[in-house]
Amino acid sequence: MLVPELVPAYTVSLFLPALYAGLITGFIGLLAISFQKNDLSALILTDIVGLAMLVIVASVGTDLAEALILPGLVVELAEIMAISEILMSREMRKTGKTAPLLPFPFTADMEIMTTAANFIAVILVVYGVFLSGFTGGAIAGGGIIFYVISRKSRGLPIKIWEGIAGISGIAWAIWLAGFLIFFVAPDYWLLGLFMSAFGILLKVASKMGLIGVMAREEFKRE
Amino acid sequence: MIETQIWFYTGIVLLVGGSIATAIGPGVKDPIIRTLNTEIPAIGLSLIFLTYNHTIALLTYIAASVIITMILLRVVVRMEEMGAEL
Repeated sequence: MLVPELVPAYTVSLFLPALYAGLITGFIGLLAISFQKNDLSALILTDIVGLAMLVIVASVGTDLAEALILPGLVVELAEIMAISEILMSREMRKTGKTAPLLPFPFTADMEIMTTAANFIAVILVVYGVFLSGFTGGAIAGGGIIFYVISRKSRGLPIKIWEGIAGISGIAWAIWLAGFLIFFVAPDYWLLGLFMSAFGILLKVASKMGLIGVMAREEFKRE
Repeated sequence: MIETQIWFYTGIVLLVGGSIATAIGPGVKDPIIRTLNTEIPAIGLSLIFLTYNHTIALLTYIAASVIITMILLRVVVRMEEMGAEL
């Protein structure tokens, strides 16, 4: 087996058990999906296959594994979210009935949403930009979602952010260009680092902002 | 002193056993029980991440698994309210 010197022997000894456990889990999940007639159960079993994928990636056991797990998690989350929306809209079209957006009593008339909405949103976005990278994107996006939800719960009109999707695409391109600089011109590594960090910041923040805008559209439709 | 490998093999047992429980466990015709059963392999995966010192991956995974469970429970409850055959 071709293993670099710097990987500890302990990690190498765990590689095969983790790999086999991942393969067995994935096999169980895929087998159960193939025997499944119910779409909803198949969706739940997709989660198991995702876990198997994460174990196989984690068995590499280095920083590379950690860097690959994060996009894997995001992809799994987005996939489950999209398939569940498709299942629900198909069922709505078939039966002609609608169900409330959130199936539990959700009254968002907390005082914090009327008095401190702008303040908390600004704090979260500024702190997210200061952090940069993936974590910062999540925090800034949380601030954007909070702002949208609190404006909505007060019944005020919200500006339509059509351009968010475009920002997301441009940020993705910046992220890729930053990575390219690492390999093409390693002398400019600092520029590449910052391009990647702020590209992923904009990307994640605008993705989470888009979730807020999507939820608002659904509120409006009802 | 506790061996580190205990966490790893406990994680693997929870992962494989939990996935079997999700696939053919008792009462999995009810989608809510199936969704709750997916928490068992999630704990197993967290223990495996812990053994490998994947700190950031572990933190992100804990947050993501909560969101995934919420999405699955939401889709189950909404489908039941629409009167779909489950």
